[in-house]
Amino acid sequence: MDYYLNLINTIGIHTLLGLSAYVLLLTGQLSMAQAGFFAVGAYSASVLTVIFGWSILPAIGLAMLITGFLAFLVGFPALRVRGLMLVVATLAFGEFVRLFFHNFRWRVTQDGVEVGPDGTMGFSEIRYFAEHGWTSWEVASLIWIFVIIVMALIWWADQTRSGAVLRAVGEDELAAGTVGIDVTVVKVAAMTAGGVIAGLGGSLYAHQITMLDHHAFTVLLATFAIAYPILGGVSNVFGTLVAVIFIQGLLVEGLRFLGDWRMLLFGALIVVVMNLKPRGLFDSQTLRWIKNVLRLRLSRRLS
Amino acid sequence: MDDFWFEFVEITQSVGDGFLFGSTYALIGIGFTLIFGAMGKLNIAYAATAIAGAYSSLAVFMLFDVSLVIIFIVSAICSAILGYLVYLACFRFIPVHNHLAALMASVGGLFFIDEGIVHATRGSPLNFPSMFSEAYFEVGPYGIRGDLLFVFFIGLISTGVLLYVLFRTRLGLATRAVAQQDVAARLCGMSIHSTNSTTFAVAGLLGGIAGAMTAAAVGILSPVMMLPLTIKGLIVTVIGGLGSIPGAIIAGLFVGSFENVVMYFRGIDERDMYVVALLFIFLVFRPNGLFGKTITRD
Repeated sequence: MDYYLNLINTIGIHTLLGLSAYVLLLTGQLSMAQAGFFAVGAYSASVLTVIFGWSILPAIGLAMLITGFLAFLVGFPALRVRGLMLVVATLAFGEFVRLFFHNFRWRVTQDGVEVGPDGTMGFSEIRYFAEHGWTSWEVASLIWIFVIIVMALIWWADQTRSGAVLRAVGEDELAAGTVGIDVTVVKVAAMTAGGVIAGLGGSLYAHQITMLDHHAFTVLLATFAIAYPILGGVSNVFGTLVAVIFIQGLLVEGLRFLGDWRMLLFGALIVVVMNLKPRGLFDSQTLRWIKNVLRLRLSRRLS
Repeated sequence: MDDFWFEFVEITQSVGDGFLFGSTYALIGIGFTLIFGAMGKLNIAYAATAIAGAYSSLAVFMLFDVSLVIIFIVSAICSAILGYLVYLACFRFIPVHNHLAALMASVGGLFFIDEGIVHATRGSPLNFPSMFSEAYFEVGPYGIRGDLLFVFFIGLISTGVLLYVLFRTRLGLATRAVAQQDVAARLCGMSIHSTNSTTFAVAGLLGGIAGAMTAAAVGILSPVMMLPLTIKGLIVTVIGGLGSIPGAIIAGLFVGSFENVVMYFRGIDERDMYVVALLFIFLVFRPNGLFGKTITRD
């Protein structure tokens, strides 16, 4: 049972990661920095619970604030460039964060035991859930409550004016600018929101996995982060969730018998999907097709 | 005073070594620049094809025991073929104006090649024959490593040949025409696809040489080299200014020297961190790089 709960937790956490890239993708920005923000959230939340002995919820809250502020700061230099250059800049930033944690040492002695991040050796004393007697069900509920809140918030924002503004910037920056939208403000805001969500995902990840290692936050994770919304399409948040379930549930866990060949498949899958459906699996065309099929079924049943 | 002199010699020595090794970054940067210039797109899988080329030449070397010069040629040819395949898989059939889809596809290509190599070699690094490693020149207080000098000369020659092809032949004329105005080039009867695929193959040739050069200078070949080479190549492209070949050359040599100086002061663990931080300094103060024109398109 714990295996399935772990899988469900992984899907929840990766959904948060994917949604953080989704918000940015709405404004037409492809960011490879999400793994970096995820790492910052993971490390800061676990430093707060392990070294400062904070409770989990305030730790997550402060980690989200830190990550959001960092994303805000990164947003300004990164947004001086657009499109492909932004990808390079954010890729470099994500790599910078990973290398920073590769060298990050902060050991303190607590009750005779040395704890804290230890550079290359990783950070392996995150036992908050075990120490406070959380069951795996409670952990999974905590993660999914956050996932549902974030999904609902993005869904709701998409129905309001702010969603329209984000999409307007994503469709055509120039046109959005001419109707009086401050493009820079919108982009930095999206970057910050993406950072906050990635920080939330990271802090949950750190406490669920109990062991942090800079190898977990490579370009591969950043590629996962943008692959979810791209494969799922940006028409609504459920596309991202479906893509996460498809990749993490089916490709990574379901094909476990293939061993390491799965990552080879992941690369090939991206290439194939981009060739067949450059705008994502669930683009407007597919959605219209799905709607038509559903309507046909419905009308047939009625008549 | 003696301490200061010693320190000075050590620092200039590491600048010099880095300068010579930087020629590999320059070649990778030129490759990214060529492809960006021709299509306005980034081929993230480019450095991966370079390393894959070096791997296949190593395979040929182990199987047939050929001479060392052949290694570079084989590496270049294999990398050119791979570059063409990457063009077919990730660029040819994706709508021209969808930059992000092509980019994403090339990221997929990067992981495909990376994992393919990890599988073929079981993930363990292999020894690469280094050239002239026993040669060592002493110039005053400085020493020059023979293998680095060799790598630098190979880089110099290939850059020279590339510039000749680009500015003195019909092929180069076509490439530059497509890069400048693809619609006008098509109106003059040029085939965009064949020009683009030639560009990918030429960039692949350079990449293969750069991959073999990197492996020869380091002495080993490992899949772990792929991502740092990709990221440094991209950094070189950005610092030099997107689409500028002289920029890429200067930025490559500069990044090579810079990383060696950082390594001298801060150790190898922190080296790459400062190199990527350098990119951010450039993004803040000179977002268009050293020689780049203002970018008006995505």
